[in-house]
Amino acid sequence: MIGTLTTGFGVWNPLIWLCGIAASLFLSWLIWQCGESDYEGDTEQTAPYLSGNAEPEKGAVHIRAGNMYWGFTAALKPYYERLIPLHSGIVNDYVSWFLIGAVILFVVVILG
Amino acid sequence: MSVFFAALGGTILLASFAIGFGLLLTGIDRRVAARMQARVGPPLLQPFTDVRKLFAKQNIIPANAIPWLFNAMPIIALASSIAILLYLPFGSFAPVLGAFGDVILVLYLLIIPSLALVLGGFASGSPYATVGAQREMVSMIAYELPLAVTVISIAWRLHAAHVAEPFSMLTLMQTPVWDVVGPLGSTALLILLVVMAWVTPGELSKIPFDSPEAETELAGGILAEYSGRNLGLFALAQAVKTVAVAAFGIILLLPWNLSPFLGLTMVAAGIADLVFFALKVLFVVSISVTVVRMMMARFRITQVVGLYWLVLGGLGALAIFLLMADTSYVPGMI
Repeated sequence: MIGTLTTGFGVWNPLIWLCGIAASLFLSWLIWQCGESDYEGDTEQTAPYLSGNAEPEKGAVHIRAGNMYWGFTAALKPYYERLIPLHSGIVNDYVSWFLIGAVILFVVVILG
Repeated sequence: MSVFFAALGGTILLASFAIGFGLLLTGIDRRVAARMQARVGPPLLQPFTDVRKLFAKQNIIPANAIPWLFNAMPIIALASSIAILLYLPFGSFAPVLGAFGDVILVLYLLIIPSLALVLGGFASGSPYATVGAQREMVSMIAYELPLAVTVISIAWRLHAAHVAEPFSMLTLMQTPVWDVVGPLGSTALLILLVVMAWVTPGELSKIPFDSPEAETELAGGILAEYSGRNLGLFALAQAVKTVAVAAFGIILLLPWNLSPFLGLTMVAAGIADLVFFALKVLFVVSISVTVVRMMMARFRITQVVGLYWLVLGGLGALAIFLLMADTSYVPGMI
């Protein structure tokens, strides 16, 4: 079959997947079309729901890219607290880490 | 050409089955939850009525939203949920597109409905929806680790037992991994069963992993601005994904069919296995969704990450070591 990718263990055909997702998209769109499409624009209806509070200035409530993974970084704070100082910006430090890693891998491969 | 028609026919057939069965599962979930709280609960077909009502309501597009993205995401969520089903075997029925995708593909496809939800939340232009979308993204990263560990461990153990095509969904269904392991491996699989039982409510954003919606603090969060047919389509996507996620867990860890035990063949075997498979889906949803959400309160998003990465990730690592030890203990036993 044209386009079938094999990894030696697994298999994937992107073209067939595209056919499947195209059929699914068409069916989903047909279902979506069955629903009511109207609404009253430029009314209170379209204002964002904020539990009755006035909408703050937009820049004040948007999540910045740096906070996108908050929750993840907060949960793993002890890990990041140790990891971040290791990024000193000094090339010698990075080469040292690379050498230490290479030695560990070498030992593992030799022992393995 | 026959593959294209199979994809088209399979899509219509599986979509009809999964939407109907998924909504029925939602109805059963609500009824059982009500009975556990000494209430009568809604009729079993209430979710069908709810969706029909949503399709009759106005489809409001918020002033701050990006309209095309806001409208497209419910369609993509439902379509991508349906597309997953094309790669899953149901009972003794082989997957429609089983020869064109494996378990790793399904692992990736499971991400798309959640991503559609995230993009829809960000496209809403609402602070509540944005916070919800951010939480959904963190949840996704969190539960992917134990889910990937489970899938890879099982496929690797089948490979170690010299089972051909260990990543094929059909192989996973036809060769229960329990049949190739010894005592250590069985212990590992029990651990992975627990891991999958906790991944399932996370995948479905159900309590205690419902922080992206968080009715009590974010008023629906990621879906706060959705209404009418868009919200209805997200409800249908959730119903289909419920079937897909539960079926995926069953194929990995509870794959047995009924027909070999009853000595059935042909059509009778197909029907018996399909009914048995549906009962297993109901069992998984009842335990992993209904019972868990009745017993627990919502986790904070930091607790979700801690549970999935540290506790369940650690259990997954333990299961891998046990499976490796099991391989040297009973090499190639099948």
